[in-house]
Amino acid sequence: MTEPNIGDNSGLAERSYRVRRNAIRMAEVHGQGYIAQALGVADVLSVAYFHSMQVRPIQPEWEERDRFLLSVGHYGIAHYAVLTEAGYLPEEELITYGLDNSRLPMSGMTSYTPGAEMSGGSIGLGLPMAVGMGLGLKRKKSSSFVYTLMGDGEMAEGPTWEAAIAAARYKLDNIIAIVDFNAIQADGPSQTVMSTEPLVDKFEAFGFYVQRVDGNDLSKLIEAFDNAREHSEPKPRIIICDTKLGCGVNFLENREKSHFVRLDAEEWKQAYVALESGRKS
Amino acid sequence: MSQLTKTKDEAVTPKKPAGPAIIASSVDEGHRTQMAPFGHKLVELAKTNEAIVGMSADLAKYTDIHIFAEAYPDRFYQMGMSEQMMMTAAGGLAKEGFIPFATTYATFASRRGYDFISQAIAEQDGNVKIVGGLPGLTTGYGPSHQSTDDIAIFRAMPNLTVIDPCDALEIEQMVEAVVDYDGPVYMRMLRGAVPLILDEYDYQFELGKAKMLRGGRDVLIIATGFMTMRALDVAKKLAADSVDVAVLHVPTIKPLDEVTIAREASKSGRLVVVAENHTSVGGLGEAVAGTLMRASVFPAFRQISLPDKFLNAGSLELLQDQYGISTRAMTRSIKNWL
Repeated sequence: MTEPNIGDNSGLAERSYRVRRNAIRMAEVHGQGYIAQALGVADVLSVAYFHSMQVRPIQPEWEERDRFLLSVGHYGIAHYAVLTEAGYLPEEELITYGLDNSRLPMSGMTSYTPGAEMSGGSIGLGLPMAVGMGLGLKRKKSSSFVYTLMGDGEMAEGPTWEAAIAAARYKLDNIIAIVDFNAIQADGPSQTVMSTEPLVDKFEAFGFYVQRVDGNDLSKLIEAFDNAREHSEPKPRIIICDTKLGCGVNFLENREKSHFVRLDAEEWKQAYVALESGRKS
Repeated sequence: MSQLTKTKDEAVTPKKPAGPAIIASSVDEGHRTQMAPFGHKLVELAKTNEAIVGMSADLAKYTDIHIFAEAYPDRFYQMGMSEQMMMTAAGGLAKEGFIPFATTYATFASRRGYDFISQAIAEQDGNVKIVGGLPGLTTGYGPSHQSTDDIAIFRAMPNLTVIDPCDALEIEQMVEAVVDYDGPVYMRMLRGAVPLILDEYDYQFELGKAKMLRGGRDVLIIATGFMTMRALDVAKKLAADSVDVAVLHVPTIKPLDEVTIAREASKSGRLVVVAENHTSVGGLGEAVAGTLMRASVFPAFRQISLPDKFLNAGSLELLQDQYGISTRAMTRSIKNWL
């Protein structure tokens, strides 16, 4: 759990709402972007950052923190949204997203952003990096976890599976891998581009403790993250989260092409209204 | 089926077996050797430096890191045949404060590992030491194992230091130096019985420094890796023909010691020959040429290097001679150029 000295203690639904609002602010700057993914994964990130992980946003390098590796670099927009909500970044900085000299580049990089622990973007680096950090943390006898957020398209990357083999071989029960399964990738529906199912069976066969949940159901997510931390077998953990692209903004949820969304100025205004209407008070 | 196609039997029945196309030694006749300098030095350093850890992608025995693995089994990670994952995991270990030595063959590190080294190590300035065995043409296995292009590949990577050591003494000094240096390094590595040459030259490796090993009025050989051993042998041979050869040893190819190279090449009247165990494309030769152009130094310039092609399989001695990097071939080339 995030230490109580940062941010406020609002409920997770409100956190998710604000993470989504932060993401829309960033996408609006450019009129386009990976906003659908950010809205889809907001609940997962809220539960990770505000329920599950031990972090100190005012001290991003705190040795005992849980690590978070953003493998899907283009989810930078989602990551900055949650980092801002957690207090790593000031809200005023959101509107610099993707602009020259900003600390918030389009693709997440560790050298740019406080709280960003890896340079992702070249898809398939997250789980291998988690293996190295997991090994390192074990050597240091640390009880920290390494979380890594991957996409479902990423399941076609070979190094992901090389790392899955190694994570099980070295009993890296300090890895909590997350797959944002939104079923869309750059060239179309992910299971048409390259079928990677059945993912649960595959990761179980590779020696993981596997859970698959509705990635937009906060209570299910809380349960899954708790299970992942507390599970007793010495296995790496993975949570496959089925998420809805554009979640929280109805006209984006129903859009056909949502990997990279372009909207006009009026539609961005409507996005805030749509998001607000679903806000749970 | 074309009539020109040989039958299987015709193709594989030479009268006399050719030389062994296996992992061969880098030692030329007449030189002393030292066993496994990398492995032994790493063990020694690890005694006082807890951060050092070892990794291999199923080539521990063939990179000499097996000696470290035997001495410190709990500090050695066998990663299996997964070079991409090993490099990325090495980046992860570095993030946690360790100094991983990630070992494989040079060809697999460079060609297969490139993106992973670039993004998980170099871009983040990770303190990872990448060790590439079988550098250049040191095996008769053919192009899959002949790392003729690793220097060119790694020179192009920002933040990465690139080193090609000459002998056992230099390997020991280099390993110590790279542990002291906080940043990503790619090292070519010689294994097994490694020639011992530089102890006769009062030599001390310094990261980023080229060193004059002998002076000479007629030819300046700028050499790296074990080609420095050959350059010194060539110098001795040519001395008998009254040709006076200087040898400048350049173990660190990036960052390059441009000042020393330009200074030595600007001394008038010498033919400048760059010698490397690497393709003529993108290695030390072109790095030196670029340096000299930028410094407005224009000596007569030649390259001793491997050709820009996929090399044959076969016996190593024959191949090195055929492709021009043996001592004999070098001597012949330089005589022809004078």
